Amino acid sequence: MIPEFPLQVRNLTKSFGALLAVDRLTLDIARGEVFGFLGPNGAGKTTSINMMVGLLDPTDGDVLIEGRSIRAGRKQAQRFIGVCPQENILWEKLTCLEQLEFVGVNYGLPARQASARGAELLDALGLSSKAQELAGRLSGGMKRRLNLALALVHDPQIMFLDEPETGLDPQSRVLVREMIRQLARRKTVVLTTHNMDEAERLADRVAIIDHGRLLVTGTPEALKRGQGDGTLLEIEIDAPQEQDAQRIFSAVLGCLQPLFPGALLANSRLTLRGPDLSNRLPEILQRVQSVGARVGSVHMRPVTLEDVFLALTGRGLRE
Amino acid sequence: MRLLNMVRKCYREQKRDLWVLGLSLMFAPLFVFIYYLMTGGTGSTSYAVLVINADRPAARADGTRLAAGEEIVQALRDLSYKSGNPLLRVSLADDQAAAERQVRDRYAAVLLVIPKEFSETLAAYQGGDTRATTQVTLVGDLTNPAYTIAAVMVMSAADAYINAETQAPRPVTLNEIALGASSLRSEFENYIPGLLVMAVVLMVFQAAMTPARDIESGTLRRIRLTPVSSLEYLGGLSIWMTLVAVLSILITFATAAGLGFRSQGPLGAAILIDIIAALSVIAIGLIVACLSKTVSQAFVIANFPLGFLMFLTGAAFPLPRPTLFNLFGHAVSYADFLPPTHAVIALNKIFTLGAGIKDVAFEIAALVLLTLVYFGVAVWLFQRTQMQR
Repeated sequence: MIPEFPLQVRNLTKSFGALLAVDRLTLDIARGEVFGFLGPNGAGKTTSINMMVGLLDPTDGDVLIEGRSIRAGRKQAQRFIGVCPQENILWEKLTCLEQLEFVGVNYGLPARQASARGAELLDALGLSSKAQELAGRLSGGMKRRLNLALALVHDPQIMFLDEPETGLDPQSRVLVREMIRQLARRKTVVLTTHNMDEAERLADRVAIIDHGRLLVTGTPEALKRGQGDGTLLEIEIDAPQEQDAQRIFSAVLGCLQPLFPGALLANSRLTLRGPDLSNRLPEILQRVQSVGARVGSVHMRPVTLEDVFLALTGRGLRE
Repeated sequence: MRLLNMVRKCYREQKRDLWVLGLSLMFAPLFVFIYYLMTGGTGSTSYAVLVINADRPAARADGTRLAAGEEIVQALRDLSYKSGNPLLRVSLADDQAAAERQVRDRYAAVLLVIPKEFSETLAAYQGGDTRATTQVTLVGDLTNPAYTIAAVMVMSAADAYINAETQAPRPVTLNEIALGASSLRSEFENYIPGLLVMAVVLMVFQAAMTPARDIESGTLRRIRLTPVSSLEYLGGLSIWMTLVAVLSILITFATAAGLGFRSQGPLGAAILIDIIAALSVIAIGLIVACLSKTVSQAFVIANFPLGFLMFLTGAAFPLPRPTLFNLFGHAVSYADFLPPTHAVIALNKIFTLGAGIKDVAFEIAALVLLTLVYFGVAVWLFQRTQMQR
């Protein structure tokens, strides 16, 4: 029987000494789904993915690939998995076709079949004229596409794509995006990215993790709806005297946070989420002005996935 | 299949780095050629000897002329290897200070000073005056290894000449028995076993740096994503490097043979031993790769085993080997844990003493066993350090 979820993550945990990098991560990723796996730097994304693809043994928990534990049969599981890493991992002294054939045979394909499959992929990714070119001589965008082809050569059922659009020119980006959409018709795609537009455009569902813990999962629309009524109010504020700025900004937050617990104020920009923002605008402005702040521009726009991400993970810079 | 896939990948990468392959293949033959040149282009070193012949010919009791100084110089010039190559390059000098300067600067190994009364003394001795004495002087730098050899040869030749002239009785005669064909071997031929092993010892760099390249560039991570095992990966790399080593060994043997080297025993056995030695060195190089993250790190670390493999195994020069314990009648020392030790011993036996494969069975067995152990350690360590999950 074919399992409904080709990729199941069960209480996946990884510790490096005292550091808990991934904390009981549980996910079910469906067949034909593009799943965005999001998180700030150091959130535990790479560690989680490395465990899912068999590069790293979990401290606890398990990953089921097509219903089988990766712990019980890593070699078998790896045949179902294709990984396109963020950095281009290529053999500079092999031609494009040679490295596709090399990787294909390593996955168990007969040499001739691996070569034919490689040629097919090069064609699909607009690299057929470069089949006999050494990888070291390709342009950055071509290397990126070859990097993707190497993940696909054994026709895996589950694809892990790490920042697939990074380093691509607009033409290549469209090509790769189209390829991911085509893949998603037949395969499960796990997409790791910092680019929220990319995730929003491509992912059916996203998960956001931070400090090794899963914060939310859901469709981008559902996550955005979770932030008020799906709109966001941004107000540029200022203090009459520069030396009063910090005091006034604190006062603005103090008077609005009881109404809008998620209120943020950074770089003179006040961001509010909540229901019925347009009707409550006069009251908001009156409160802001009542503590001595001057109101600049007022802007209302739909909530984006980036807003959700920042709301959940904060604005603090990460290592 | 994956094993051969690795071999093919190595071949494809190597054919695009032909100059590196060329250097790998030519290094050992070049060494052989350099040693050939070092032995004077004849296969055996001729030692430079300076002679100040102050001797004045004298008349024997029967009236015949005795020019003993000239005759000793001729006797020195007549000394030769069995191949006919001269043992000594004899030059005459007049000025002792200038001659000593040449010896000090190592342009000559030894200075022989024949006194003016040399012929007169010998003639007197022949005439029955057994109290007649004189002194022949040797001047040399005793720290110069060439001095020891040249001085012994000069003294032996002079002693033989004097003994023949005086007919003085000798209570003891020395009898020398050359083992195998050792008396027929040229100095160049004596270097060959060590050189052949040294050639494969240098493979330690390539063996350490090849996986390190995959580690540094991240391509090992791509391999780790596939079902390839450490054994398949390292096995494939080792097969390729062994093929390169075999080619290098064959070229080295051909070069040596072209320059006059002849083996007394079966050449096939010698080649087999050298190939196994190459495999063992590759295994040691792979262990180095396990401890490296970059190619330059692998290169630096590889120098450490290289020192052991070259200088403690007898490949570069013989070293004392204190016995740790006995095994099947063989004294085992620390050097026996280094595979090239057995290769050097076996090659010496084959080349010089004409030993057959049965005569070096112990060395071959030790070599194979150590190769398997080192390769096993490499695979285990690689799994732990580079393929760890």
